[in-house]
Amino acid sequence: MPLKYAYHPGNVSHSSAPEVKDTMFPIAKTLGIDLTIMEGATSCGAGIIRQVNNRLQLTLNARTFAMAESLGLDILTPCAATAGNLNEDLQTLLKDSILLAEINSILAKTCGLEFKGGVKVHHLLHVLVEEVGLDKIESKVKNPLNFKIAGYYGPNMQQSGMCGEDDAFDPSYLEDLIQAIGGNAVSWDSRTQSVGTPGLLSEEPTVLRQSANVILDAKDEGAEIIVSACNLSHTILDVYQGKASRFSERPINIPIIHMTEMIDFAFGHHNTRLAQLRTRIAVIGN
Amino acid sequence: MSDARSLLILYGSQSGNSEEVAIEAGKESSKYNLHATVKAMDEVSVSDIVGNTRIMICCSTWGDGEQPDNAEEFWEVVNSGDIPNLSTVNFSVLALGDSSYDLFCESGKEWDNWFESKGANRIHPRVDCDVDFEEPAKIWMDATLELLGIVEVESPMMVKTVSDSKLENQDTTIEESSDNNVISYSNEVSIEKFLESGDRNLSILFGSQSGNSEELAAKIAKKSSKYGLHGSVFDMDGFDFNSLSNHKRVLIICSTWGEGEMPDNAEELWKAAIEGTAPKLNGINYSVLSLGDSSYDLFCQSGKDWDRRFEELGAKRLVNRVDCDVDYESMATQWSLDALASMAAVDETGNFHEERLEMIRNFATGSDAVGASGEDGFHVPSLISVNLPVEVTIFRYDPEINSSGKDTWLCSLPGHISVLEVLRLLKNTHDGSLTFRDGHSNDPNTALSINGRLILPGSLRLDSIKSKEDGKINLRIDPLPCFRVVRDLLVDTWPLERNRESSKPWMIAATREGKSTSQGPIGVMTQTLATYLHSIKDYQSSVLLHASSDTTPFSESYVGPSLIVSAWARRNDPRISDTKKKEIDEFIGSNSGIKAETDFSSIRRQDANNIAISGALLNARTSALSQSSFNGRHGKHAWWYTWSIKSSGKVNDTVLYRQVLGPLGLLSNLFSGVTARMLFGFTRTGGNMVNDGLGMVLPPAGIGKMPRQFNSSVNNHHEVIAIFNELDGRF
Repeated sequence: MPLKYAYHPGNVSHSSAPEVKDTMFPIAKTLGIDLTIMEGATSCGAGIIRQVNNRLQLTLNARTFAMAESLGLDILTPCAATAGNLNEDLQTLLKDSILLAEINSILAKTCGLEFKGGVKVHHLLHVLVEEVGLDKIESKVKNPLNFKIAGYYGPNMQQSGMCGEDDAFDPSYLEDLIQAIGGNAVSWDSRTQSVGTPGLLSEEPTVLRQSANVILDAKDEGAEIIVSACNLSHTILDVYQGKASRFSERPINIPIIHMTEMIDFAFGHHNTRLAQLRTRIAVIGN
Repeated sequence: MSDARSLLILYGSQSGNSEEVAIEAGKESSKYNLHATVKAMDEVSVSDIVGNTRIMICCSTWGDGEQPDNAEEFWEVVNSGDIPNLSTVNFSVLALGDSSYDLFCESGKEWDNWFESKGANRIHPRVDCDVDFEEPAKIWMDATLELLGIVEVESPMMVKTVSDSKLENQDTTIEESSDNNVISYSNEVSIEKFLESGDRNLSILFGSQSGNSEELAAKIAKKSSKYGLHGSVFDMDGFDFNSLSNHKRVLIICSTWGEGEMPDNAEELWKAAIEGTAPKLNGINYSVLSLGDSSYDLFCQSGKDWDRRFEELGAKRLVNRVDCDVDYESMATQWSLDALASMAAVDETGNFHEERLEMIRNFATGSDAVGASGEDGFHVPSLISVNLPVEVTIFRYDPEINSSGKDTWLCSLPGHISVLEVLRLLKNTHDGSLTFRDGHSNDPNTALSINGRLILPGSLRLDSIKSKEDGKINLRIDPLPCFRVVRDLLVDTWPLERNRESSKPWMIAATREGKSTSQGPIGVMTQTLATYLHSIKDYQSSVLLHASSDTTPFSESYVGPSLIVSAWARRNDPRISDTKKKEIDEFIGSNSGIKAETDFSSIRRQDANNIAISGALLNARTSALSQSSFNGRHGKHAWWYTWSIKSSGKVNDTVLYRQVLGPLGLLSNLFSGVTARMLFGFTRTGGNMVNDGLGMVLPPAGIGKMPRQFNSSVNNHHEVIAIFNELDGRF
């Protein structure tokens, strides 16, 4: 039986992170994961909409849950921030039946939808380890990524009850996945540290210090590359890397790729991009 | 000659404490498949030491660093003659002492150094105990026994610490112990043989007036077979006292009659016992159960008489006499269990093997697992505590040489102890310079980072930590982030307190009408509000909450979540004055307030209570942004993000960058390489770069129509707009 999920792409795969879109579907096909795209799903809010109006974000996400529920599918996303935010709102709704009823009345009035509570939200990482299985992933590897890879989780999905059977504070799933695709997983402390994504545009100096600290920790542990399970954090770690170097006494150049890219490359889907990555590691890697 | 699993436990004792520990260690040793012999130091010779591969020493210190009386002579002996090399000996020393004396634990130190000087292998570091010795002694005992249990006779095991710290120049090798996870705790085969060999007769004498003693004697005789004994019941009436010398094991059950008199059937025997011609009872092991009635002055006198007389005649009391009142069943049952086990531990030559006592108990109760039924009442099964292999890695910092690193210890520790106790143990036994904040288990100031989780170490048991596949627990202990490290795990929390003072956290209440109650007028608040305010202040430790934010270590001005949430609770207290509320609003909405927090998720995930606290922080932020009318970067970011969702259902980077950063911000990105990375894909792997780059650099992007050029709307976008219209008319 193929695994079936309602797919939520996260907030930036349509814009600043098209690589996720490019690589997610090939790996799903290889692993026999059937993804149904929720064309009507909105942004998860990234923890920002709720700063303006918490009930607004809850309602928008309840609409997304209701859409997945109508499909009879759980939600899968490759973004840790989206997984965390959706799960946070899901738990809030499930714990408060009065709130759920109030939000359902708004959904009924505006969309004709109802969320009954029968949906779960999964990050791709947890589906790969717990549902697909690392053995299967290992069997599909064509290009072992024999680099020293630091896996970045971020704090959003590393919350109790949101990260499958993995340890919220001392996780190992991403390291296990890295080993499965032929990589050499680096052990490092900052893998669940926040890089301050929601504050990028408003608290830039702080965020860049956070980012530089995370990157330096990975480099100190010998990483040649960082793989991010969070699409939003990837933006800071990668695109803002040069700017963050101003807040570091040492160079922090290091290639950062999305988790979906890493698996995709290992499966042999985008060999040209893998070749570019190898070059980047050779030139600017640790 | 010692066998392959033998263990010699020596004690030098003045007050009995060392002896007590040694005997306990002897009992415990059976769990590690060791055959222990417990001896006082005045009972051993040098050959005993040379002939053993495992030796535990418990030694107290007397006076000014002197050996206790029963160790003095042996100490002189071992330091006077030629002692052969002891390289095959594995040893560890427990030193008892009193730190109020100058030469604290000196005797133990002397023994420790002596064994080392003779080439013996110190298998576990010496532990020096102060007057409260029980807990460290138990930890030493368990750890040493486990290590001795996995020692192969031919090869002494070495256990060393691993250190990559720049602070120490010690050896950094790990030597693996073989099969240290394979420890047999079962010794049933040898126990069975022991309980079957030689004379196993047990004599039970009863002196009875009403029949209770006789009945008990019969029951105990029946039960004795489970202990490998052949119990025979003897009426004291007609029993030949002179024949007692043929018995090795004797139990006496005797009631008291009238004013401390022997029961009728015991009178003659007692007369024979107190005669001057009564035979010596050397070699007899005995115990007395005494029945009586406490309403009489001479309670249980007969039993006391028998107990004293047997002792006078040289018999060895294995179990202390138990004096039972009229409700005797429970006490008698407990005595019988102790007495039978002890009698069973007497071998055919009449020697008592205390080290086998626990095994015999286990053997007997294991074969009699009747649960709550049966005349003995509950049979509590023996619980065996197996130590856990733990790798402890601790951050070290020495401010004197400004050097930091990490030290690692490989330990075998009981699962029930807390991480705080692990730290104490390491400090007491391995490195006295290890610095951390100690306190009771819930002391909020003891907080540390343990495997990435911020927690009070006294509340975290080792066995609650998930072990790795190899069964080992990795314990990574770091100081709390957000604070300057003073030394090792000790951080300086004073800046937080200074900020707390600056935040003026006190209440200035408004004048208002109180509710009239029987106690007079009193201010009240609703139950819902009271519960809410309590929930957001219900955190274990303010330093812990402060450190839970990943932002605080990197922000130059942020006061941290603990001060914000305290202020927010105060601000929502209905008793507060308008002036104070305004003051708090200014504090929360300032640049060092809640706006400086970059990500609530790091706070939320640390603790179940933090879910409510992060919710309160979110409310504080919403309040602060609203009061500033969503101006400034923080307000614009939240506002335009939300606006772009209404616009298309998706985030629009173009709108955000343009509206929040403005032209200067975009220029900053242009010259700092951000735009270049987006546009040219400097670190990308071949994705489509044009869409990304356009949004970054084209000024018209922020006008409002451009987003649709890049963002297609989600399906049924009208539903999104309807939700916005329903819930927030500002957009």
